[in-house]
Amino acid sequence: MGTIRRWLNGIRSAPIKDLSDELNQPISRTLNNNLITLNSIFSHAPDLVIRHFQLRTGDNAVLVYLEGLIDKSAINNNILKPLMYEINSVNDFWDSSTTIAKTEVVTLWSHIEKAIFQGQSILFIDGQDRSLVLCTQGWPQRAIKEPQIESTLKGSHQGFVETSGQNIALIRRYLPNRELKIKEFNVGSRGNTRVSIMYLDDVINPDFVKEMEDRLLQINVDAILNTGELAEFIEDHPISLFPQLIMTERPDSAAAHILQGRIVVVVDHSPSVIVAPVTFSAFFQSVDDYSNRWIIATFLRLLRYLALITTISLSAVYIAIVSFHYEVLPLDLLVSIGESREKVPFPPIVEAFLMEIALEMLREAGLRLPGPIGQTIGVVGGIVIGQAAVQAGIVSNIMVIIVAITAISSFIIPDYDMSSSLRLLRFPMMLLAAVFGMVGIVIGLMIIGAHMISMESFGISYGSPVAPIRLSDWKDVWVRLPMWKMKKRPLSTDPTQLKRQGANREGEDQV
Amino acid sequence: MIKYTFNQISLKQYILIIYKTQVGIGVLSLPRDLAQTGGTDGWISLLLGWIVSILLSLVIIKIMEKNPEKTLFELLSKYFGKWVGKGLYVLWILYAVFAASVVMFSTIHIIQIWILPEMSNFILMILFIIPIYIVTKHGIRVIGLFAEFVFLISMWMPILLLFALKDTHWPFLLPIGKEGLFPILSTVKSTILSFLGFELAFILYPFLKDKKTATKGIIIANSLSLIIFLMVTIISFVRFSPDEIKDYTYPTLNLLKLIKLPFLERLEIIFLSFYLLMLFMTIVPYLYAAVLGASQLCGKQDHRPILRIWMCLWFLSSFFFLPSATQINQMGKSWGMAGTYFAYVIPMLLWLYGQLFHHARKEQRQ
Repeated sequence: MGTIRRWLNGIRSAPIKDLSDELNQPISRTLNNNLITLNSIFSHAPDLVIRHFQLRTGDNAVLVYLEGLIDKSAINNNILKPLMYEINSVNDFWDSSTTIAKTEVVTLWSHIEKAIFQGQSILFIDGQDRSLVLCTQGWPQRAIKEPQIESTLKGSHQGFVETSGQNIALIRRYLPNRELKIKEFNVGSRGNTRVSIMYLDDVINPDFVKEMEDRLLQINVDAILNTGELAEFIEDHPISLFPQLIMTERPDSAAAHILQGRIVVVVDHSPSVIVAPVTFSAFFQSVDDYSNRWIIATFLRLLRYLALITTISLSAVYIAIVSFHYEVLPLDLLVSIGESREKVPFPPIVEAFLMEIALEMLREAGLRLPGPIGQTIGVVGGIVIGQAAVQAGIVSNIMVIIVAITAISSFIIPDYDMSSSLRLLRFPMMLLAAVFGMVGIVIGLMIIGAHMISMESFGISYGSPVAPIRLSDWKDVWVRLPMWKMKKRPLSTDPTQLKRQGANREGEDQV
Repeated sequence: MIKYTFNQISLKQYILIIYKTQVGIGVLSLPRDLAQTGGTDGWISLLLGWIVSILLSLVIIKIMEKNPEKTLFELLSKYFGKWVGKGLYVLWILYAVFAASVVMFSTIHIIQIWILPEMSNFILMILFIIPIYIVTKHGIRVIGLFAEFVFLISMWMPILLLFALKDTHWPFLLPIGKEGLFPILSTVKSTILSFLGFELAFILYPFLKDKKTATKGIIIANSLSLIIFLMVTIISFVRFSPDEIKDYTYPTLNLLKLIKLPFLERLEIIFLSFYLLMLFMTIVPYLYAAVLGASQLCGKQDHRPILRIWMCLWFLSSFFFLPSATQINQMGKSWGMAGTYFAYVIPMLLWLYGQLFHHARKEQRQ
């Protein structure tokens, strides 16, 4: 199909305009030549500022930067002022004349281009065949705020922002350790997005790092705009419904994942980071689990797994029972369901689909609308669905309860991606239940299960530690045992250094 | 990709695959089969059957241990030469295919009778083929994982059976040995069908990561199955009278029919639906053994093309092969017969032959 279309239309891909001849040249000694080259590289860039000035020694100099990506006060106070009024000779100026923390001497145009796009400013001096890159980045930035999607009660209230340097710093604050390694990549031929991977060198399985590097280097696209796009390029099973990489916007949970032997991928421009490799159960852990008392955390964990089952199958079970196996219910319950369904003219599957779709629409509408209107939508939807629809005899009371429970349980699951996937799985399950009853539900669960356990994430079984059964990992999966009981990192990440703590309570055996 | 060696299974998976293969269709009718010849002493025959199957399992392991790196196919060709070996191997494949098909058609039959009486054969066939295909296509690694998954998911099922322990009549079991020795011994034959599954060790052994544990593993697997069989049998014996039990085709399901929870009745519908997991776990290993064997025979690495062909055959056959209850029974019986030869007689012969063979080899070398 694709071949035919290409033959019909002709290939319509043109490479980025080739300037490699100019970019590979070193800069010239005369300032005017340099300005000509600069203009040819940055044609039609009104935001490029070319500031002519004279050094105190009398030499002509030019400062070049992109307006808006720089910090104006740094340019004024730390560069222009010392250069125009304080220096004595041109020669000592390369290293000591400006009060900028990071400078670099470059000679190639390609370096200069890259530096300008990164928000640095370049200083050319007449008669010199080298120029100085000054670190003056200062673009508009959001303050560090509380994460929006993953809010917690007791965890930290710092969330990632859109600058990867800041995000790395936020993570490093949790792990001031020499073994925390960071590697940088540039992804995207146009976007040139800075992508950094972070891991603990003595904990992580080196195979993951290598695999991750390979996958990042293989990406060949125009630009990566956010983490979700990058995730689609590096995940193992792109057509699966399940998310295979955790995207978190919390530095503390990113640090916790690094400590467990995982890699964190920080993408510039994006307020969330990717965690890999992950297992299915990792999506059901939340940071709050570790700040609650362990018994309560265990209860919450179990609640989430219960929510997993309800989200997928409760409406399906309702359909199966009402349309196939009403004999499994005790008579009293059956009578009350029958009374409630008396006025409803549709078969249960239609009723369920109406409600579930309405609920999904309501959710999406509430999310997309601005805050105050969003609340109105909630109220309107609640009244329409809760009261009017039942009184009009379109759906039954029981169905309203079922839909409400499935909705609530889908929101308990801490990871947004996972809860959306599970919510979507509900619909095929409902269809299976409508056609085959309980058998259909079991087959549906079996297909989901078989698909889940056959997946891998960076060579790790996605179903771990349930399949393969790893009992020692269960301490932090179904339950959350006291912290001092968890002496080992999870086996499911296959770390090189397994032990994570020694004896912490009196009378405990040394491991 | 990197760390995971694809074609290996851990001891846990090895145990669970064999155990889940054994606990399958047989359990549903086991109490009746035992009661028919052995009366309420049937459970003693179970113990005897367990001992026999463990002995035979050990023989199988012994055969495989002699040639640790060889699959059954290579082993047979080594012992009997290329053509005879291939012929024997074809028989084995046919046996595995037959076993898988018997369970498949019985499953469809049981589901039709108990849960979905109006559903036609081929629709159920399509429905069942999908998960079976998904699991089998990835090969032994996922089958092992699926065995673990099924094991965890079905943990509640034996516990549910304990609810049936109301209104029991334990004296039904007494006096022990009232039928005499001979009926007990002859009933051992009926337990064969239930314990079938350990012969898959022939196929699984080359995949096992730590081969030294094979003996331990197969004993654990047989014993786990025994526990389930004993539980089901004894509960049905004390719950139903010895005459009543002979009237039921699937006494285990009738047992569940009696359980009433405050919010659920007719538990056998829910139970049987979830029992599909166990039934599939019997089908999948046999199917894989057959498909893997066939692809080895053709000298191919990938078993998926043959798997797909076989799935199509199953699907097509479901249009014109609509087995009746007696036919299903008959098929089960002939599977038991075939199993007697393939799991009990042939390993013995093969072992003796192997002893002679290696003996002769050694003499030749000297």
